[in-house]
Amino acid sequence: MNHPSIIGASIPRLDGRAKVTGRAIYTDDIKAPGMLFGALLRSPIPHGRIKRIDVSKARALAGVKDVIVGADTPQIKYGNWRLVPASQDELPLAVDKVRFVGDEVAAVAAVSSDIAQRALELIEVEYEELPAIYSVEEATAEGAPLIHEESQGNVSLVRKIEYGDLEEWFAKADLILEDEFKVHAVSHAYLEPCSSLAVPDEGGRVTLYTSTQTPYIVQCLLAHTLGIPENYVRVMKTQVGGGFGGKMELRPWEFSASFMALRTGLPVKFTLNRAEELSYGRRRHPMSIYSKVGFSKDGKLLAKDFQVMLDGGAYNAMGPTATFLCGTFGNMLYNFPAYRYYGRHVYTNKPPASAMRGFGAPQAAFANETQLNLAAEKLGIDPIEIRLINAMQTGDVIPDVATVSSCGFKECLEKVREISGWDAKRQAKTPNKGLGVGCFSFISGGVFNWFDTKYNFSAAEVKVFDDGTAQLASMACDIGQGTDTVLRQILAAELGISIEKIRLIAMDTAATPKADLGSWGSRVTLMNGNAVIQAARKIKDMLVPVLFSQFDLNQIHDVAFEGDEVFVKANPKKRMSFAECVYKALRGRRGEPLSAYGYYTPRDKGLVSPAFSFGAQVAEVSVDEDTGLVTVDQMYTAHDCGVAINKMAVEGQLEGAIQMGLGYTLSEQFVMREGHTLNNTFLDYKMPTAEDMPPSVYAEVETYEPEGPFGAKEAGEGLAIPTAPAIAHGVFEATGFRCRKLPITPERLLRGMGKLR
Amino acid sequence: MPTPRFTFHQPQNLEQALDLVGMYRTNGKILAGGTDLVPKLRAGLMDVHHVVSLNRVPGLNRITFHEDDGLVIGAGARLADVALNPEVMKHYPGLAHACSVMATTQIRNMGTVAGNIVNSAPSADTAAPLLAYKAAVILVERGGRRHVPLTEFFSGPGLNVMEPMEIMEAIRVPSPPRRSGSAYLRLSARSKVDIAAVGVAGFLALDMDGVIIEARLALAAVAPTPLRCPEAEAMLAGQKPDPQLLTRAAAACVRACRPIDDVRATAAYRRKMVQVLAGRVIEQCYQTAERGDA
Ligand SMILES: Cc1cc2nc3c(=O)[nH]c(=O)nc-3n(C[C@H](O)[C@H](O)[C@H](O)COP(=O)(O)OP(=O)(O)OC[C@H]3O[C@@H](n4cnc5c(N)ncnc54)[C@H](O)[C@@H]3O)c2cc1C
Repeated sequence: MNHPSIIGASIPRLDGRAKVTGRAIYTDDIKAPGMLFGALLRSPIPHGRIKRIDVSKARALAGVKDVIVGADTPQIKYGNWRLVPASQDELPLAVDKVRFVGDEVAAVAAVSSDIAQRALELIEVEYEELPAIYSVEEATAEGAPLIHEESQGNVSLVRKIEYGDLEEWFAKADLILEDEFKVHAVSHAYLEPCSSLAVPDEGGRVTLYTSTQTPYIVQCLLAHTLGIPENYVRVMKTQVGGGFGGKMELRPWEFSASFMALRTGLPVKFTLNRAEELSYGRRRHPMSIYSKVGFSKDGKLLAKDFQVMLDGGAYNAMGPTATFLCGTFGNMLYNFPAYRYYGRHVYTNKPPASAMRGFGAPQAAFANETQLNLAAEKLGIDPIEIRLINAMQTGDVIPDVATVSSCGFKECLEKVREISGWDAKRQAKTPNKGLGVGCFSFISGGVFNWFDTKYNFSAAEVKVFDDGTAQLASMACDIGQGTDTVLRQILAAELGISIEKIRLIAMDTAATPKADLGSWGSRVTLMNGNAVIQAARKIKDMLVPVLFSQFDLNQIHDVAFEGDEVFVKANPKKRMSFAECVYKALRGRRGEPLSAYGYYTPRDKGLVSPAFSFGAQVAEVSVDEDTGLVTVDQMYTAHDCGVAINKMAVEGQLEGAIQMGLGYTLSEQFVMREGHTLNNTFLDYKMPTAEDMPPSVYAEVETYEPEGPFGAKEAGEGLAIPTAPAIAHGVFEATGFRCRKLPITPERLLRGMGKLR
Repeated sequence: MPTPRFTFHQPQNLEQALDLVGMYRTNGKILAGGTDLVPKLRAGLMDVHHVVSLNRVPGLNRITFHEDDGLVIGAGARLADVALNPEVMKHYPGLAHACSVMATTQIRNMGTVAGNIVNSAPSADTAAPLLAYKAAVILVERGGRRHVPLTEFFSGPGLNVMEPMEIMEAIRVPSPPRRSGSAYLRLSARSKVDIAAVGVAGFLALDMDGVIIEARLALAAVAPTPLRCPEAEAMLAGQKPDPQLLTRAAAACVRACRPIDDVRATAAYRRKMVQVLAGRVIEQCYQTAERGDA
């Protein structure tokens, strides 16, 4: 496939320099005149009824400008699943009940943050404690206390998928395995703690600067909870220091800042600290997984019965989507005739779990991939071979879900086998060393419209000017993943102008076209990229006639846009600069500016996603058999993300994914006692650092995705999936201990190996 | 947490520093690298009105070594400087190792050995090797100076025998005899950048026949203070190590410790690791001692 040279180039982040030199402006850097500082009072107990709140002393403290509790607010429930209003179970500030340690109860705005903190201590709250629940098993037991009275036995959502005759296919199987797996919660641990600054505008409007990955969702839900028209809220995303799924909802501080800004007429800012983030922030869903699989003796996967309970914590948050996707990821990598998924999202008295990079997939993959390795061992088939036997291929249909329009999975498996030296190393079998494999597939954005937007999923507005420059306006948001650069690459490629000539306006919900659902589900490159291309093509349609009339051509000629010039393909001498072309077009339009909109909403693409990425990863690990310490010596990854628009950005995603996968597998976990998180600093929440990163080798398997911009698919979340199963498998090969529970701490490993009682 | 507010003092010599420390003994704190102090201040853990920095006091950061007198580490010496000092690397490899693997690059560039000792965390990484090297600290106050052996210095988690008007001036470590070997091993869950969950240091001196004349073993992070293991040391003295003796001595180290369950590791795991690391440390010490006549 021929594409412009800027596609596939390794272009450094356009925002990179500002970030590494400390000049980039994040929300907390912004200071508005007269600004007040907010602070949140949170529940100290995991479950209870609020009997009484007295804020009079706090209100009387000098310097305090406003104090609010639930009763002062419109008390409108919200949640991202607008399509299912019953799933909207959250209030910005608790009204009758608190459901986890950290549930927001009151908010203060004061002239300094010290005063705001002191005011919190003056608020008196009387609780009636209720019995609390900390696991899905307790929550779904007979007679368990209800965390939300309206839920069915603490189950907030059930998702079932079923196709093929399960009984029949299990009856045909030569090998049946039944296993249970447990995976745990981890923190997004984005570097920038959440921050929001609300500035009151004329006419009861409000502008919110906020660290978010979904400006549009925040705009809609904030307006809804404030009881004002949607377009009275203007959300300005500033630089965002990572999200990973943890910043894709309306949050209580966004509401409180805006509500108090409107009440006081003064700007109000809230900035969380790391201890708050780790203690009360969103997390990845812990899951209790039961999986039964049937295989023929030659390694064909015939049937899978996959039952999952997601520990959602106190509220739904993005849990419903995770529940859906977990089922989808149970069958996305391999093609098999019978599948049943039964997923339940369960409330517990813990901080809510939500979307986190991979969105239900890392958990499902840990179980699925580990079980596949178990089957390979039992059947005497090489683990990569058994994957090749079952691998999804281009054109395969996932029943009721999607048709896979491009798939390089088999090529990835072959490639990773080659670059890791798989066959030779497995033969050689070095003591205490092992090679493990894990695979992934992921969606390039979602099809299912749970947010129930009436607008297109993505939109772009392109303007071109007679100085040869262009302007791209889009609500898509770069939270560090690099889409600001990638979208400009796509526009530069389509218009044939240099990337420096493109100004980007990308953060302002009042100045960019509606809508964009945000940065999640690895959707931006494909969806917004397509919108950009559509807008650019409309612009080109306005410019082509200029060339025709200039050179007196008939319309059958193809016109090229390249190198800041426009020319006739068959006769490149007939050319003019892009600037001149725009200038002449402007004259022809009597000064009316050239601008065009482009949109993208996936249509006729099944239920899940317009396109799927694939990949395979091998981890080479060493285990110290006395201490139980696992060292990852080397990672090998082969990846099909369609056409990589920016290779450097893809590599960046891979490195970050390995770092997250490493922590998820080996060291990160929340230590909790009675609903309290005990390790709320990076000292005790053990996230791997740069020094812990293993070397990594990477091979790209290029496919062309017909639905993607210039053939591209996702490269963000998929990569976060394979690392845990790959390392766990490597640990098994090194020690003989198959870990069905994460994380594989030195202690758990020693116990598993029988070396510690 | 309210922002801490305090007066910052930068004395130009030790006399001035001692005056300030004496004057603010009830509500002042000394600052060296600040890597322990500043996080505590920010967390609102202490009520401090005056901070006295030692960073402008000349001469405090000296690291000197003489064959006869041994090593003197000035209270201002940074962890990174100690880690890379050729003399320390040669004669006190356990200490050099501790200073080079603890914390992070940034912290090692700021933090001091003295700060690590005064802070008196049970997990202090330099404590175990310094105990194994039989170090003593020099404490000064207006009109007085005393030597306190490190074995008598720690009194509990974050606690020690220092008086509020005292400044630690330096740490003294005796010169190791010929045919001796030493080592420090530490372990934590997040391999590279982390507080130790267990630390074990050792020192062995041999006679010409390879018999152990003197053994010293010290543990960190497994009791309220870093501590020595007299039972294991006595077991080793006068012996040539064999695998059984190693196992028994390591088991004696386990008996010396009083670990707790915390967010970093369980007591059971810590005990097991004392066994494993003590075995490795003794072996490593013995091997280097046998090799070296230097
Ligand atoms: C991210 C991070 C990682 C860390 N990792 C480790 C680790 O792996 N292992 C480890 O052991 N420690 C670790 N620490 C703790 C700390 O860095 C060390 O203890 C360091 O050696 C402290 O030295 P300092 O000079 O910074 O002490 P300071 O913070 O300046 O002082 C510490 C205490 O000692 C007092 N003090 C300092 N100097 C004197 C003196 N000369 N006389 C009297 N009192 C004095 C101070 O008043 C204060 O109470 C870590 C800290 C951080 C922030």
